[in-house]
Amino acid sequence: MATVLRTLSDSLIDELVSICGEKQVLAGKSARFNRARVPSPFPVHRWEDYVPDIVVLPTSAEQISEVVRLANRERIPVVPRAGGTGLSDGAVPLRHGIMVDVKLMNRILELDLEDRTVTVEPGINMLKLSQELRPHGFIYPDDPASYPCSLVGGRIGTSGWSLIGGRYGHTRDLVISFELVLPTGEIIRVGDGGGKKVRKSSSGYQLKHLFMGHQGTLGIVTEATLELVKRPEAEFSAFYAYPSYLDAWRATGDFARSGAATLAGVVLFDEWKVAYLRRDDEAYIPQPDRVKAVVALALYGNEDEVRASAKRLLRIGKESGGTYLGDEISQGDWASRHDRYATPLHGRLRDGQVAPMSWHCEDASILYSQLPAVREKWHAIAAGLRKRFDMFDDWGMFAYTNGAFKPWGDYLTEIDIGIWEMQWDDESWAAWIDAKREIARVALEHGGSITACHGSCREGEVDLVPEELGGGYEVMKKVKRALDPLNVMNPGKYLLDGAYEEDET
Amino acid sequence: MEQGTASEGSTNGGPTEEFVEEWRTAAYNCYSSGHKFCREVCPVMQVTRDEAHTPTAFHANVVAMDEGHLAIEDVARDYVHCTQCGACELRCPNTLFTGDFYRYRTRTVDLVKAARALAVDHGIHQPGWQRWNELTDSAKSEPVLNGTPVSQEHVADWAHGLDLPVGGETVLFCDCEAAFYRTSVPRAVAQILRTAGVEFGLMQEQWCCGGPAAEMGYVDQARRFAEHNVADWRAVGAKRILVLDPHDYISFTEDYPRYFGEDYDFEIVLVVELVAELLREEKLTLSVPVERVVTYHDACRLNKRKGIHKEPREILRAIPGLTFKDVDHVTQWSYCSGAGAGLAIERPDLTAEISRRRVERAKALEIDTLVSACVWSERPLSEQGEIQDVEVVDLMELVAESCGLGD
Repeated sequence: MATVLRTLSDSLIDELVSICGEKQVLAGKSARFNRARVPSPFPVHRWEDYVPDIVVLPTSAEQISEVVRLANRERIPVVPRAGGTGLSDGAVPLRHGIMVDVKLMNRILELDLEDRTVTVEPGINMLKLSQELRPHGFIYPDDPASYPCSLVGGRIGTSGWSLIGGRYGHTRDLVISFELVLPTGEIIRVGDGGGKKVRKSSSGYQLKHLFMGHQGTLGIVTEATLELVKRPEAEFSAFYAYPSYLDAWRATGDFARSGAATLAGVVLFDEWKVAYLRRDDEAYIPQPDRVKAVVALALYGNEDEVRASAKRLLRIGKESGGTYLGDEISQGDWASRHDRYATPLHGRLRDGQVAPMSWHCEDASILYSQLPAVREKWHAIAAGLRKRFDMFDDWGMFAYTNGAFKPWGDYLTEIDIGIWEMQWDDESWAAWIDAKREIARVALEHGGSITACHGSCREGEVDLVPEELGGGYEVMKKVKRALDPLNVMNPGKYLLDGAYEEDET
Repeated sequence: MEQGTASEGSTNGGPTEEFVEEWRTAAYNCYSSGHKFCREVCPVMQVTRDEAHTPTAFHANVVAMDEGHLAIEDVARDYVHCTQCGACELRCPNTLFTGDFYRYRTRTVDLVKAARALAVDHGIHQPGWQRWNELTDSAKSEPVLNGTPVSQEHVADWAHGLDLPVGGETVLFCDCEAAFYRTSVPRAVAQILRTAGVEFGLMQEQWCCGGPAAEMGYVDQARRFAEHNVADWRAVGAKRILVLDPHDYISFTEDYPRYFGEDYDFEIVLVVELVAELLREEKLTLSVPVERVVTYHDACRLNKRKGIHKEPREILRAIPGLTFKDVDHVTQWSYCSGAGAGLAIERPDLTAEISRRRVERAKALEIDTLVSACVWSERPLSEQGEIQDVEVVDLMELVAESCGLGD
């Protein structure tokens, strides 16, 4: 079977080389195939549909601007890519085109210890950044599950969510301002207003939020000024077991509403998740049967404050009927939170056989009061998938406190579904897309949002975005059309091609 | 600019099919993980920032080959971008969190070696590696990068004046780079061992261990060299082989057992571990103060591939006069000299940059000396050390100094 790939004309490639430099333009097949996907489920049997025509690795905003202007002139799609670790396909080319990979732009440009900001390029990783900040006594606490590998540019493009956002805020709270290349090539800076280090302004429209979380459809970030946070003196984490989901859910509410300012997050693991962990996680295998659901919490801050808060939360744990799971799980599992809960080898077929499965979490923002009802409906959807295709596996649910600084109203809620991707065919793929749409519909029916952190521009759930946003979606289309008149910036996402069809009619 | 190739994108049958068959499950285990946590610890990726140079890509390529999208011609050059340091294997969640339970370990290094071998099998040669292996084949030792002539008649010149016997139950294997480039290391080792009363001899005719050829994909040559060396060991009655370089240690403890199976009954002893033991048993005394402020460079093949990081630190702490500013071995997963697995031959620019960054990190600790326990790392680290005013020495050179030994 020969794979026939389109590419750009020699003269266009020469132009890109003259903009970015010889070594920064990659036309080879492996360079392109290896930038076609992200960790979310990928139709491996249709890989070539997502391969970019060419890859550029620019080193400056000016280079990106020139590439974008060229793309407008030639009407070629441009797809930005930072870490490529997102779960909503923002960095996946849906219409091929020029992929702008910003990983080479990973310098720290300015460290301002006085006004407490750090200005960086978009290709830097948060773990690496925090390592550089450590000698100065600071951290940059944007802490997604992909903390060791995702990059600042992608965090802005997806408006990311942080595991310790309850205490320190999420990406939108931690990015003070940033520079980006607009879909027509102009380079602008957006923040709250004023200079690049100003945290709060009331001057004009609040453009920072508009240019975050657009999944690469409104431009490419080229520089960002970030919040520096004092390295916490103390960290406290505790894991509690409960005899039922509802007991654990009630305790979760109690912890989250405790009012402790040091509270970074409360996490609720349901019975399915605990059963899944019992398969092979050494912390859970020895747990007695009465352990049906688990609640984890974490505190960060000055030592005196953390001590006092911990005392209060331990009391809540006791009063809510929780069983403390011990220091080893409490500290070890929290420390390994980024990579403990989702490895392919956890996957099981219906007969119990191990199969390498991709971890995919469908996420939503769900109100606290609605968590029990949503949980039942989501597991039913997953059960339907597994019944039809012995390649899906229900890995249980998590619910995390969602609000920054006020972590009690709604929850980032995930159902983790293992998928044996070697088995994809068009039928199973279509069933998966339907299930995703159903999962999103449940979230909306219960007054939630389709997504708290990943974005909602993938096949399936994206169909419901106009419904979720209502009149706001119409404004979204107008904004897109105004800023990207030729639809070159990451086309095909968020059904935004529709903005241009209306022009034609 | 990197050029597109005109491959048919099929597995072409034969060796490619066997390769895909062997690596399919491992490839899907990585492909399915999607964590990519390996990426920022990879010394090469940290410099090139190229997604095609990541362990993720090295595995995903197998999936793409399985699906008929890519062929070895399309990816062979990518696999050059690996020092086989093993950091990615350690940082892989599949290894870290489920490895024990399933007895599973991510094996990127073996995958890279297999992909390189597949390329050679298809007649796809990297010019530097091809020349290197041809020269090794004719001289029986690896060529030395600075142009020092290499030949079989001079393979033991490093031992001039030491009066070392040939043969015996215990034989010291001297790495090519040590024998022709950094001769002070094997001389230090020989004198230390003699001082401690360890009896040992040299081989009759020492050839390259074959490890570099295996790392670059020249598997037949690697095997021939291994057969020669094992035959030489048997001919002189050796039962115990002392190894002073981590790269040889990998060859003798991983490659050779695979080649020879149960017949391979030699005891392989790493000199660093032996010296630590001699110090513990007080058969060796370090009494001459060494007035230096040092940090230790964890040699990748010791720390990441073999889990050996305690003994070098134990030895350093036993040297009087030394101020030792340590960086823990896990932080050092993301450090490397860039010298390994032929990278220095095909991409000397990357090796130099990886070493520059390593020395820069050492320099930030306000030290005057960077100590390594890997001869191969010492060339690129020394080159950068000269620029940054950091002296690079081998651990055994320091031990010899503290024993009052010296040429």
